[in-house]
Amino acid sequence: MKENSSSYIKELLETRIFSVSAYLDILNTLLQSCKTRVIGEVSELKKSQSGHVYFSLKDKKNGSVLNCVIWSSLYRLCGVELKEGLEIIISGEPDIYKPRGEMKFKASSIQLVGEGELKKQYDQLKKKLEPLFAEERKRLIPDFPCQIGIITSRQGAVLHDFLNNLGCYGFKIKMVDSRVEGQEAVEDLLSSLETFKKEKIDVLIIMRGGGSLESFLAFNNETLVRELAEFPVPTIVAVGHDKDVPLLSLAADKMVSTPTAAANLLNQSWQRLEWEIKEKEVRIFSFLPSFFENVRFEEYKAKERIFKAMEERFNYLKAKLEKLQVVIQNNNPKRNLALGYSIARKSGKVIRAVDDVKIGDIVDLEVIDGIIKSKVNERKKLKSKS
Amino acid sequence: MKEKSLNQNLKKLNEIADWFDKQEEVDVEIALEKVKEAVEIIKETEKRLKKAENEFEEIKKSVKA
Repeated sequence: MKENSSSYIKELLETRIFSVSAYLDILNTLLQSCKTRVIGEVSELKKSQSGHVYFSLKDKKNGSVLNCVIWSSLYRLCGVELKEGLEIIISGEPDIYKPRGEMKFKASSIQLVGEGELKKQYDQLKKKLEPLFAEERKRLIPDFPCQIGIITSRQGAVLHDFLNNLGCYGFKIKMVDSRVEGQEAVEDLLSSLETFKKEKIDVLIIMRGGGSLESFLAFNNETLVRELAEFPVPTIVAVGHDKDVPLLSLAADKMVSTPTAAANLLNQSWQRLEWEIKEKEVRIFSFLPSFFENVRFEEYKAKERIFKAMEERFNYLKAKLEKLQVVIQNNNPKRNLALGYSIARKSGKVIRAVDDVKIGDIVDLEVIDGIIKSKVNERKKLKSKS
Repeated sequence: MKEKSLNQNLKKLNEIADWFDKQEEVDVEIALEKVKEAVEIIKETEKRLKKAENEFEEIKKSVKA
């Protein structure tokens, strides 16, 4: 298909005559496919009032020059302060400006070349953004997060690693696919943040797998760092780091090194809850058996006390009865009759003293086996001992 | 009769036991009434304990299942 269209254009160019404008249109269409990255030194730097930046990129070896422009909005996104003599890599495509017939390379992103420059820029920006990294700004990752927003590249094992380590706690994952490598990722990441601002989420995670130092450039972008610092819900950045921690990680509420660590962080409160439920279950289920045991023991003790007390009372009463029986037995008149004593009665009344009878009275003497009728012949009082 | 809690039953049993401890001269008829009452409470407590234990076992099974 591509081959067909290029041979068609070739044929068209050879056989037809074009107006200047139409010819430039064709050239611009063809130039669109020359999207690339170019390295060189900045020279002839001019900034327009509207903020667009015009400059030339000079080949260090032979002085060849490429005229370039970067529109103000993209320039701001890049986070690179252009200076003459600075070595940079620009991404973009060439374009012919029809009113002047001049070709310019339209840069969509700029990145610095060389560790020294990168480090210098990193340190400057870090100092400038320091207030955004303050510990007191950090928000806690909420307990029991449910709605999770993820910004990462669908390609690679990152998402797989993350999901594999996420516990089964009913997480609802919303993902926005974004480039996470190189300077070009900034635009994607910013637009993903915008998307998630409108979504109802509990936590936002930006993550990526490993990568080269150069590929961290996007995570040191000022606009992106500021956007993340102001993001409405707590954020986690899991992009790892080389020698220097990416500024985006410093601005996040929580920074972890890998997607697996991010998943573990989300699991934490749920795992704690799971453990607490188990512990409470053990406590609840061991409480009742010991309560039952206690009721039984208390009941047994009370029962023993009552029954013992009752038995003691019975024994006491029985002993008392026995004692009384002995006393009664001992005082039983029949027992004395058997010993030889007798009871004297006159007209049915017991004779207790000599004066109870007169001479000639008939008295009944009761002995053990009957009554003896007797007549009083004599009365004789005994002298009292006292 | 309104059902009393297991704890209330235990309290009542202990009150009866305390009553026995306090009496120097026990009126056997009253003591017998007290013992009868205690036995009723013990039976009732045992019944309810058994029921609660069974329910507890069922709940435990349903959680472990």
